[in-house]
Amino acid sequence: MLLPKFDYHQPRDLPAACGLLAELGPEARVIAGGTDLLVNLKHGRIRPKALVGLERLEELTGLDSGRGRLFIGARTSAAHLAASRSLGGGLRLLAQAAGQLGSPQVRNRATIGGNLCTARPAAELPPPLLCLDARALLAGPQGQREVALSAFFKGPGLTVLGPDEIMRGVVIPRPGLGGGGAYLKLGLRRAMEISLVNVAAFLQLAPDGRTIAQARVALGAVAPTPILSPRAAQALIGQRAGDKLFAAAAEAAARDARPIDDHRGSAAYRRDMVRVLARRALEQAWDQARGRRGGKS
Amino acid sequence: MSSHRIRLTVNGVAREILAPANRTLAQLLREDLGLTGTKQGCGEGDCGSCTVLLDGEPVNSCLVLAVQAHGHEVLTIEGLAQGRELHPIQQAFVELGGIQCGFCTPGMILSAKALLDKTKRPSQEQIRRALSGNLCRCTGYQKIVEAVSEAGRRLSRGRR
Ligand SMILES: Cc1cc2nc3c(=O)[nH]c(=O)nc-3n(C[C@H](O)[C@H](O)[C@H](O)COP(=O)(O)OP(=O)(O)OC[C@H]3O[C@@H](n4cnc5c(N)ncnc54)[C@H](O)[C@@H]3O)c2cc1C
Ligand code: FES
Ligand code: FES
Repeated sequence: MLLPKFDYHQPRDLPAACGLLAELGPEARVIAGGTDLLVNLKHGRIRPKALVGLERLEELTGLDSGRGRLFIGARTSAAHLAASRSLGGGLRLLAQAAGQLGSPQVRNRATIGGNLCTARPAAELPPPLLCLDARALLAGPQGQREVALSAFFKGPGLTVLGPDEIMRGVVIPRPGLGGGGAYLKLGLRRAMEISLVNVAAFLQLAPDGRTIAQARVALGAVAPTPILSPRAAQALIGQRAGDKLFAAAAEAAARDARPIDDHRGSAAYRRDMVRVLARRALEQAWDQARGRRGGKS
Repeated sequence: MSSHRIRLTVNGVAREILAPANRTLAQLLREDLGLTGTKQGCGEGDCGSCTVLLDGEPVNSCLVLAVQAHGHEVLTIEGLAQGRELHPIQQAFVELGGIQCGFCTPGMILSAKALLDKTKRPSQEQIRRALSGNLCRCTGYQKIVEAVSEAGRRLSRGRR
């Protein structure tokens, strides 16, 4: 399969890149790992006149902890996230999700920025990042703005990113002790599979080790964008952790899902799977929050 | 369309190629350098037959632009044998029946190499996971997994 013709630009820094995007207009596209964009180009789904490569932008690299926040550069690969020592404890669910994206070859190229900016409803990294209350750092010709990830997605393939903006990275508040999370994906097979349903759960326990101080459950592939389940969070926060509570919260999450019927699965099946996966994810998140090695994954 | 002067190292040799922007790394290897050991099947990341090692890590060369490989090191299947002596992974694939038609083999062997470079004695599960981006329509995978396992044993014994 051949690629159409385009010009390729490799700006040296972020301001130059944003300037270039502004100058080239809507005919230009950013390319990071290319695992999504190049497939779309080969299929003729998009025909940009120019590609702007991010490979020289140092501003988009690195995992950096400071002042209770973790910065993850947009160019960080899924393979890097999956193996990162910075993603222990309450951040483990992000590494878990990254390790289930595509294949080893895809993970070595796929970036976190590309995974978020493609805005696929079934993408791997949005649910864990939504659970971790991540914020997206967007750079444009006028400077940088910060957007809550929950307000970033607008629809399948649609985000709030302007045509001359580049995602620099995400920032995550570092969970304290008593934070735990889990990510579960259901596909038709284990490797290289777009999720039928994916669920991430995060729990922050109060110092008593039993009361849920903060909780988030995020769902993928069951709505036009990845979503947080407000009903699940409401069912959990302030309650004492336990199996009955998790079952009720999982029911609540299923009620927030708005799945569709397609050739990969029916809406009813997907909703049912949200319930099952959400309960398991909450149990595993609890195990982790209590300092037990999260059970089966 | 823009053209680019691409400098990269392929199988230990520094190369410089002038290529149009829409050249993939797979095309550069096969067409510009004549290294046709790298296969192209699906062209969209699903089959892994185009797998090469980029700075030691497996990637689908059909989904990497040649310009993106500028300044990097590429290892293809042609870079494994030393003269007429096969690399231990190649030898194990031949001996244990890990090769039938051979189309998936270069990609399989490079994925296996990336694994064995890090983990000398991988478990079956680790091997299957490392090869999960490489499809084989012939062997049923079992013999490939056994070949990688055996290659790991031989490499850790330091036998060539
Ligand atoms: C075989 C295969 C299997 C896959 N399996 C999965 C899977 O299991 N789960 C999953 O979630 N995805 C999967 N994908 C999709 C893809 O690999 C991921 O979405 C990946 O994270 C995209 O990242 P990238 O760097 O390759 O993006 P690119 O292809 O480079 O870019 C994707 C889009 O994001 C934009 N973009 C990228 N970076 C930025 C930035 N910093 N700022 C602004 N815009 C940006 C680009 O303009 C483009 O529109 C798979 C792809 C393939 C080929
Ligand atoms: S040809 Fe590259 S993955 Fe199939
Ligand atoms: S040997 Fe024929 S595809 Fe694997």
